[in-house]
Amino acid sequence: MNAWLLAACVLLPSGLGPCLWRACRGEPARRLPAMALAGVMAVAVFLLTARGLHRTSYVDVALVTAVLAPTGTLVFARCLAGGARAEGAGGGD
Amino acid sequence: MTATHVLALALLWCGCAALLLSAAALALLPTPYGRLHALAPATSLGVPLLCLALAVDAGAGRQAAKLLVIGALTAVSGPVTTMVIGRSMAAEDRAAGSGEPQGPPA
Repeated sequence: MNAWLLAACVLLPSGLGPCLWRACRGEPARRLPAMALAGVMAVAVFLLTARGLHRTSYVDVALVTAVLAPTGTLVFARCLAGGARAEGAGGGD
Repeated sequence: MTATHVLALALLWCGCAALLLSAAALALLPTPYGRLHALAPATSLGVPLLCLALAVDAGAGRQAAKLLVIGALTAVSGPVTTMVIGRSMAAEDRAAGSGEPQGPPA
């Protein structure tokens, strides 16, 4: 066990725990901050695990996550905003 | 325990502290729009500091460049996703406020 793995072990439960909890409660759009933060925590854990296990080639997993996690959040937000706008337009006529 | 290693460990624990601060803020802040602020320490400070620590530890080279790209990607995408999430929450509030039932998007 080295400092990098210790940091990953600390971040995994105490970082992702609140995100999962907040992602399971409230209106759909109010869960997005938790999902976005979960993506950021995943990047951090992937980086630390790759270094802690001396597999620096696995940093690519963190790179791909750093690109796709925000993209996924944007797609979710776009989908929810589209739904809300359709509801509003439907009621206005 | 060289100076480089000590610097890397210091940056590591500062980055972890910023990430844990974000998680605590997400759990404890009462209002939804307040929780939006929980993203800032993680994306603007936590992951970039982690990447800096790993880059210092890895030494100059391609590996350090890749780590710094990851840190920059996270630092840039953080504010963007925060703004988009805020707009999405506001749109949801407007739809809910106008009396229409808030069903799932078609």
